[in-house]
Amino acid sequence: MFKNEEMEINLGPQHPSTHGVLRVKLRLDGETITHCQPMIGYLHRGVEKICENQTFFQGQVWTDRMDYCSAVANNLGWAEANEKLFGITVPRRAQYIRTMLNEFNRLASHLIWLATHALDIGAMTVFLYAFREREDILDMNEAFCGSRLTTTAFRIGGLREDLPPGFEKMVKVFLAKFPSCLEEYENLLSENRIWKKRTVGVAKLSAEDAIALGVTGPVLRAAGVPYDIRKAFPYAAYAEMDFEVPTRTEADTYARYLVRMEEMRQSARIIQQCMDGMPEGPVMAKLPKILRSEVNEVYHATEAPKGELGYYLIGEKGGLNPYRFHVRAPGFINLQSLPKMAEGGLIADIVAAIGTLDIVLGEIDR
Amino acid sequence: MAEPIDPQTPEASAAPEAPAGPYVYDYAASPQRQIVLPKTVPLPSLKTYLAEQKAAAAADEAKWVKMQADFESAKAKAEAEGKDAPKPPVRPVPRKDDNDLKTPVPQAAQDADLLTLVALLGDKVEEIFEQAGELVCQVKKEAIFEALKLCRDEAALNYEMLADESGTHYPAATDFAFSVVYHLTSISRRKRLRLRILVPEGFVPESACAIYPGANWMEREIYDMLGIRFANHPDMTRILCPEDWEGYPLRKDYPVVGWGQRDITFREDRGGMIERIALQKAGQLGINLKQPKAE
Repeated sequence: MFKNEEMEINLGPQHPSTHGVLRVKLRLDGETITHCQPMIGYLHRGVEKICENQTFFQGQVWTDRMDYCSAVANNLGWAEANEKLFGITVPRRAQYIRTMLNEFNRLASHLIWLATHALDIGAMTVFLYAFREREDILDMNEAFCGSRLTTTAFRIGGLREDLPPGFEKMVKVFLAKFPSCLEEYENLLSENRIWKKRTVGVAKLSAEDAIALGVTGPVLRAAGVPYDIRKAFPYAAYAEMDFEVPTRTEADTYARYLVRMEEMRQSARIIQQCMDGMPEGPVMAKLPKILRSEVNEVYHATEAPKGELGYYLIGEKGGLNPYRFHVRAPGFINLQSLPKMAEGGLIADIVAAIGTLDIVLGEIDR
Repeated sequence: MAEPIDPQTPEASAAPEAPAGPYVYDYAASPQRQIVLPKTVPLPSLKTYLAEQKAAAAADEAKWVKMQADFESAKAKAEAEGKDAPKPPVRPVPRKDDNDLKTPVPQAAQDADLLTLVALLGDKVEEIFEQAGELVCQVKKEAIFEALKLCRDEAALNYEMLADESGTHYPAATDFAFSVVYHLTSISRRKRLRLRILVPEGFVPESACAIYPGANWMEREIYDMLGIRFANHPDMTRILCPEDWEGYPLRKDYPVVGWGQRDITFREDRGGMIERIALQKAGQLGINLKQPKAE
């Protein structure tokens, strides 16, 4: 007769769909997942400890290496947390440029998510299309700060340099073609029968569960909670921008796909507004050459492409480096919801669940 | 540093002796790598800030009184000797710097949420204040579970989400060793609140998992990095480091360098490349670096 036994298997740590080195311990009853336990730490480098032993300016370099798909967003959070710690007012032009680059970064991050998520599920073509547009954004990163991935784009107090000549033209060319590119991806996926079968109703996470687990970002918004830190606690120049927070109520993988696609449209809108309303003036606040902190404690959260990215900093009296540095990485908190999404589902859908969370192990393990 | 072994000599083929026993880093040999424990307790607090301000003002006043007394005595002395009177002293004003740096200071709590917490928790609240636009409430370490439950369930507070939880090591403090902070977010009311407890070494605070299930991994990370255990936690194991890891990396007495890490001098001229380039450049400039010295 048939044996009714549970089987335990390991997904990862070396598996292309785990986006890094994530190990997931699965217990299966046939093809159904009965127990799921993500195990992390394979990429732990001790970023917090290292930053506590470096000066405030040096720490930013390490934030590039946390979520390497959205380095600019990490830089923005770090710079703003430090500005809050020291009480620095950043010039308005610098705020606009930061906002614009951050939105470009959101596009790049969402594009890489779309590419890899579709590739995991089996849609190969989108991967190549999305990387084509991402290349343009990386070129703009390079034009602005000299590097493409690990940008270290901003400085505490503003920017190191103003926009390079010709940047405006690059942005114009990009914005002119980007809406048609988005349509291209949607033509490939939105009504695709295979894509819908793999995503609709898969890896559901209700709004109550998401809030209880602290899940933020597109995953929370796809459950119908319009929580976007750009709107709720505006930072940089977001208070002056006109954009919408897309939400869906289905709370499944397909809804998250739709939310992220709409977010890309809104990002393009914000970039356009930044270019139109770019104020003139300096890009760097007046600062002493050496920053020495006072006793202060700040938690600054920004809306990174993956969710709420929080920096917790403690300053010492006369300190050259942060006394304590802690990162609230969105991926770390979001990954906690993986068992809730995957348990009771099919083994084939765990790949979709990992992909839809949009995790980067560099920031989870830090 | 040991002498480099010449690969041509037959002695080089013999393997170098392995160090006996577990390797212990020799801090005396490289003093720059010694652990420097912090001497201050940078715990933001309104009480401490006000006390410091009071002390600084008193010291300033004492200095001014002394300057005036010195002047009086100098004046009397000059008059007695028939000399010109010295210049009267000018009270020193704090130096003005024209940079855009204004560190926020702790201020008395004005926000309704903090006052509600005090009204509901009574003497379980140790301190409330605001700094840099953030609300801080320090509660007694035994009352943290109650405070978190109140923050979530009370209609006037309604903090639905635990955004972050982390801890800090304060080796210089006498009556506590760690602070644990809870960053709460109210999505509906668009507010943030920081709850803080101070715990001594060995104290086991109540886990927040029963109220905010998301605290599970955050508390595991705190245990992994700082060694604070939480009571009634579903799975109190290490999360980032391996299970058999020794020590807690984010404590201030944990060294930054790894055990047995090698000293690397980046200026070391292994292949003679730096010397060759230097000679070449010197040759272009017409300098003879290899000029023999007079005996």
